[in-house]
Amino acid sequence: MADTSRVTLPASAPVLSPVTLLRLVIILTVLAVWEFLSHSGWLYRDVVPSLLAIGRAMFDLLAHGDYYFNLAVTAGEVGAALAIGGGLGLVVGIVLGANRFLSKAFESYLYYLGPTPKIIFFPIMIMWFGVGPGSKIALGTLSCFFPVALSAAAGMRQIDKVLIRVGNSFRASTAQMVFKIYLPAMRHPIINGVRLGLGVALIGTLLAETKLSNKGIGFLIIQAYSIFDMPRMYAMLIVLFVLSIGANSVVGRLGGLDSIKRS
Amino acid sequence: MTSTPPNAANTDILVVDDVVVRFETQEGPVTAVDHVSFGVRQGEFLSVIGPSGCGKSTLFNVIGGLIGHTSGVVSVGGETINSPHQSIGMVFQEESTFPWRSVTDNVAFPLELIGMPKAQRIERARHFISLVGLDGFENRYPNELSGGMRQRVSLARTLASEPKILLMDEPFAALDEQTRLLLGDKVLQIQQQLKQTTLLITHNITEAVQMSDRILVMTYRPGKVKRIVDIDLPRPRTSEIVGSEDFGRYVAQIWADLREEASRGMRDEEEHALHHTGAPS
Repeated sequence: MADTSRVTLPASAPVLSPVTLLRLVIILTVLAVWEFLSHSGWLYRDVVPSLLAIGRAMFDLLAHGDYYFNLAVTAGEVGAALAIGGGLGLVVGIVLGANRFLSKAFESYLYYLGPTPKIIFFPIMIMWFGVGPGSKIALGTLSCFFPVALSAAAGMRQIDKVLIRVGNSFRASTAQMVFKIYLPAMRHPIINGVRLGLGVALIGTLLAETKLSNKGIGFLIIQAYSIFDMPRMYAMLIVLFVLSIGANSVVGRLGGLDSIKRS
Repeated sequence: MTSTPPNAANTDILVVDDVVVRFETQEGPVTAVDHVSFGVRQGEFLSVIGPSGCGKSTLFNVIGGLIGHTSGVVSVGGETINSPHQSIGMVFQEESTFPWRSVTDNVAFPLELIGMPKAQRIERARHFISLVGLDGFENRYPNELSGGMRQRVSLARTLASEPKILLMDEPFAALDEQTRLLLGDKVLQIQQQLKQTTLLITHNITEAVQMSDRILVMTYRPGKVKRIVDIDLPRPRTSEIVGSEDFGRYVAQIWADLREEASRGMRDEEEHALHHTGAPS
């Protein structure tokens, strides 16, 4: 509309942007190399199964109710871990962010324990919560507690002080301060924390399932591996990969939508 | 010129009586507000003016009940103030709109806190949005507005709580001069329309003279009342008054008082800086 002097082909631009094109090229190259390797005979059979075999395995996987049951188990575990760990993390983070004394006393522990691989606590979790989903939820909870607590504490300290004074001047109750000022004012750090928390909860839960369990996606993957059903294992990895991208983008979308209205 | 109203105290809706605020700092105790007494009458526009560091923002927070004072009494309508009081509505110097709330939801905030039903509080909010001249912006978010408009949202929000006393701390300090004068008009117009008792904290002489019935001049640290000046200019006023001869006389008179204090503050700050950067000589 603005530039009428230049002649452009309207159809050429929107179909494939250079970025999309590059991405497609990379994916197709990877697939081609994969397929070439699988037929080359340079590797042990089935270490790199053909795309056709993986495709067939994926079809088998998705056609059976069994897979969805295990998916639901894992999703439930991750969801419960996120709810418990995230909820606790939020509360602890807000308290530490609001209270300088408590933050001085305890926050350094969060920083020390945060990066510790939580899987080392798995044996204890099994003793406490058993072999079933309980121990997986516990491990996922432990994993996602830290990033959520630390982001909430940092978010709490970043709140514009004048907004708190506004709340006080209108005589807001403690609950009103929390729900109408603190939480909305720290929604960005919280969403970031939940995003990180979701990632590590997923890692913790799946890792625990591969170690010791009798249901869940981690269990299925390790089972496929132990009977050397590589196409099935790869199929499950791909599905899992797609699902975690989906989950992450849902959480990201929550933050993204909000930030449009903000600044 | 100087009015001392000790016997007029019974008509004062806000009374500040012998208030002292002392802070403990690393360099020892500092007296920010030193035995300050004054009253604000019903419907009056009173400005407190002083150089930076005279404790006027401290006074603002004490009257608003946000910080405590060492001795003395602040009372509104006979009730002593030790915490935020519903009769006092504060407008802050800083950007204070909630970025996650639309203009309507920002203005309806105090009504939401007291549990007013949604339909009713939206209607009330609309009324005050219209009062500050922001019709048509009800569903916008603060980041879509200019600084002056956001400050009007804050003003509308405070007015929506229908305070007996409107307490403002340099609400236009961050705005440019033209916007400031025009907003001053808006505030004057609203103040006269609502007969709103107003206490304005400022360091801007023009602003103070343009709007006030009386101006209280404070001294530099420790903050004391230096003088209270009656501004005998006709009402209703607009920013056009800044060109008049009387206006100029008031400005000159207050500047004479303020100049002394401001230069004392400047010297003090220079000395302080010299002392604490450990000058090599």
